[in-house]
Amino acid sequence: MPQTKILLVDDEIEFASALAERLQLRNYEVRTAHKALEALAIINDFLPDVVVLDLKIPGMDGIETLKTIKKIDPTIEVIMLTGHGDKWSVEAGMKSGAFEYIMKPVEIGELTAKIDKAMKQRLTER
Amino acid sequence: MEHKSEENLRLLQLEFVGKILAGFTHDIKNYIAIIKESAGLIEDIIKIEKTPKNKSEQYIEIIRSIEEQIQKTNDLFRYLNRFAHRMDTQLAAFNINESLEELFALIQRVANQKKITLARDFQRDIPSVYSNPSIFQFLIFSFLEERMTNLDKNSIITVKTGIKGSSVGVNIFSEGVLRVGQDVQAMIPPEIRTFALQKLTGDISESNGNILITLPVSR
Repeated sequence: MPQTKILLVDDEIEFASALAERLQLRNYEVRTAHKALEALAIINDFLPDVVVLDLKIPGMDGIETLKTIKKIDPTIEVIMLTGHGDKWSVEAGMKSGAFEYIMKPVEIGELTAKIDKAMKQRLTER
Repeated sequence: MEHKSEENLRLLQLEFVGKILAGFTHDIKNYIAIIKESAGLIEDIIKIEKTPKNKSEQYIEIIRSIEEQIQKTNDLFRYLNRFAHRMDTQLAAFNINESLEELFALIQRVANQKKITLARDFQRDIPSVYSNPSIFQFLIFSFLEERMTNLDKNSIITVKTGIKGSSVGVNIFSEGVLRVGQDVQAMIPPEIRTFALQKLTGDISESNGNILITLPVSR
């Protein structure tokens, strides 16, 4: 399987940088963004396979960001990151095309398992 | 009828507590998530890194980040604990600046989300007041929540405290654009205003989008 390219979107800079480094140590190629518009700009340039998206990011509603990502490339898989157990947002995200969701604080093994599953899905969709 | 109104206000107060707790737990989850990832990163570096080199600077940086998040978590817990104890007594002597600082810390996340600045202009060494601390915070929260909902992004809400004769005054005013259809005069819901006036030992006045609350200095 080719190296998975991940875009990690979270406004908590320290959280995003620590998690990005942990994923890099596990041989993923990772970029980070802290705002919705920054994420959308990176997507066009970086072409990620999987986006790990915090639903509470500044600049645009998380669900709107998810919909925009799917419009740019429907095969990009999005894993929603939520720290507040917002059932409505999770349901809305799944209906809008999210692949999976994961709750904060993140279990790294659970996240990588979901990323690998998402990557397999993306490869079959291509 | 009066009983029903009192009951509704109690429900509003419970909602207020719920909103404070929701914001608090969200922030704590975020801090814990950062602590968890930072600690996990140290573990990863030790376990996974195949080329051993001097990593002490990176470790120190990560440990500092962990300590900072623990400090933030601890501060927020301290604020929440004090907030909870505000309801212990109906009337008590308390410091208005501390009470406002505590409320601000607990609602800062909402202000950040709405891109509204909560500015403080507190007079230093202000004397304690004698009033109902919980109702005071409820009243301030009701006003701030209304303003934060109806003001456009990048607005500023300023809370100013100062001595006024034998009272302490809290003046709240905002700079920014109100959303279309919002009335600058509509600030504190009348039932909350009446309820607060009954329970506090001071006065509330509103004019042109400003609110002034005066409470007697504790003897």
